[in-house]
Amino acid sequence: MKSAQRISLEEIDFSDETFSVNFRPELERLRTSIGKIGLIQPVLLRRKPGGYQIVCGFRRLWVLREFGWPDVSAIVLGEEKEDLQLFEISIEENLTTRGFNPVEKAIVIDKFIHQFKIEPSKVIHTYLPLLSLEPNEKILGTYLSLAQMEEEVKEYVLKEEVSRTNVRKLSTFSKEDRKILIPFLSSLKLGESRLRELLNLLDEISRRDRIRVREIIRHPEIQGILSRRELTPSQKTERVKKVFLELRYPRLIGLERTFEKRRKELNLPSNITLSHSPHFEEKEWRIEFRFATLEQYRRALSFLSQLAEEKKFEELIKEDSNGDLGK
Amino acid sequence: MIPFQIERIYIDEKAEKDWLTQKILQGLSHLPVERVRGKKELIKKFLSSPDPLTVGKRHLLITHDYGRRLKPCPGTSNHLCCGYYIINPMTNCPMDCSYCILQEYLNNPFLTLYTNLDDLLQEIDLFLSNQEENFLRLGTGELSDSLALESIFPISQILIPFFAERGKGILELKTKSSNVDCLLHLNHRERTVVSWSLNPSRVIEEEERGTASLKERLEAARKCQERGYPLGFHFDPIIFDHGWEREYEETIRALFKTIDPKRVVWISLGGFRYPPKLKGIVEERFRDTRIFLGELFPGKDFKFRYLKEIRVEIYQKMLGWLQAVDPDLFVYLCMESQEVWERVFGWAPEDRRDLNRIFERRLKAFISKS
Repeated sequence: MKSAQRISLEEIDFSDETFSVNFRPELERLRTSIGKIGLIQPVLLRRKPGGYQIVCGFRRLWVLREFGWPDVSAIVLGEEKEDLQLFEISIEENLTTRGFNPVEKAIVIDKFIHQFKIEPSKVIHTYLPLLSLEPNEKILGTYLSLAQMEEEVKEYVLKEEVSRTNVRKLSTFSKEDRKILIPFLSSLKLGESRLRELLNLLDEISRRDRIRVREIIRHPEIQGILSRRELTPSQKTERVKKVFLELRYPRLIGLERTFEKRRKELNLPSNITLSHSPHFEEKEWRIEFRFATLEQYRRALSFLSQLAEEKKFEELIKEDSNGDLGK
Repeated sequence: MIPFQIERIYIDEKAEKDWLTQKILQGLSHLPVERVRGKKELIKKFLSSPDPLTVGKRHLLITHDYGRRLKPCPGTSNHLCCGYYIINPMTNCPMDCSYCILQEYLNNPFLTLYTNLDDLLQEIDLFLSNQEENFLRLGTGELSDSLALESIFPISQILIPFFAERGKGILELKTKSSNVDCLLHLNHRERTVVSWSLNPSRVIEEEERGTASLKERLEAARKCQERGYPLGFHFDPIIFDHGWEREYEETIRALFKTIDPKRVVWISLGGFRYPPKLKGIVEERFRDTRIFLGELFPGKDFKFRYLKEIRVEIYQKMLGWLQAVDPDLFVYLCMESQEVWERVFGWAPEDRRDLNRIFERRLKAFISKS
């Protein structure tokens, strides 16, 4: 083991990110710690023509530079060490100290494949388990796609703790669509399943109608909802979803609307409900009523008995009426 | 010529000495062959590979099946079933249609050929001899394409004369291929219906990989027509998408430019439907598929179907275009409710038996006329 030496910060090439896998590092704790007790662990550097390359300790060095330290305690490796070997050391070191967030895992995997040219099968079986990921192609593909998406998407994924399923879905949209999509999603309040639902609706409307996702988001109705300041993000989310559902399932929504209109025309008392079968698949209707007293029970029965004579009711339930509902 | 790629053959040692195995091997003598004892381990190994469904289509497994290979078509609850029987001399298919139910249904990814042929023929013989009806319909196109593998596994060339000799039961060969040349010289005695699944050319190109084009299918149908085979056509699954009306109407026009409607024994209509698990499988394999973009919802049997109103519209329009060609065409709905039948045809079979009787009458009339 080499012993540490003092290296001037001016001699360190901060722009060389060969071994860096940082994404939006949280430096506040480190600042406090270094400000209080200084640097405990020396950083790891490699000699290169004209200076030094950082292998381990990017965050510590950024903080030291901020604090204006002139030099740092470092273990210096010779130029003969291979890049891959040093990258592996850097990964191991980070895993034992701080761990990686999902975007950093994506950067690690991307570097193994594209920078160090490691075979995908080796990355799957050797490095994915090292990062506590399941060793399969799907996971590899998910993280590679995350690494290749824009900074704004990565930030959104981290901030909202977006699941892998939704990362995969986001990666299927074009870069231009994502540019509009991310600010749009950020303005709503979306849990995991609601995000999945909206992404699926957008994807399906866009592919069915052969239009771009950004055109759907720019739809005046959607923009109208987003611009209403009195609405909370949750309310905006519900209204946006409703518009998407109308675009995605126009025939079903048309049937629902006509049914609602006809139901209202029947002026049912509040304790009587009339409903149709799920998605109008079965030719059957359901009437339910609530009562607390014998009198209420009698009144409900009397109303239902009169309902049988109502022309509007007959029209609603007549044999082919459900076929006409949406027309 | 084989229009698909087989990379390796696995032979279960039980099947090694069968004459049918030897015949398959003669036709594929350039391929590596591996002998296996039992197939369970092999299947397990393949199922753990990254894309077993695609890989399976490139590997042939020759083995025996000692279970029942002639079964009633499973149909689906709350829907009218037509009393069809399925025969399974093989499972899986070299074609790769995005909507194929086998992706979800089969737990063996190989193209699997069962060479214990005598067992199968005995089973069919026994079944037919126990039936009072002469026109029960049996088909090999449920767990595979009836003719896609015919060039290496000549099962239809065995079954056609078999049914002709019995004079009982009607064999249906359902296909998306054009492999009919080997059938043309056979004496079928009108006991075999050759039928094609049809879709517009765009749907074939986008969703039915490895199948014959519409033109090739119709040309193959024309050859069978010339040889006196009764013909069937299945517009199933119908995919409801922008411009579907124009595309399906054109397909019907193309069909009857080539085929005499009087030689068509039946035409079925069926909207696209799928069990819930299929969507995830298909979206992994065919990212650009458009089959799930319609208004599809789960029914009581948990299968997703187009909104009933859409299905009725599809069937009414299709029926109109077909009847404009020939009002006597025999058209039926596959796995639909009585209510949908009534709204499309103005009447509905009472039950499965009733529908089966309607088929029997149709077949009797068709065969006696010709």
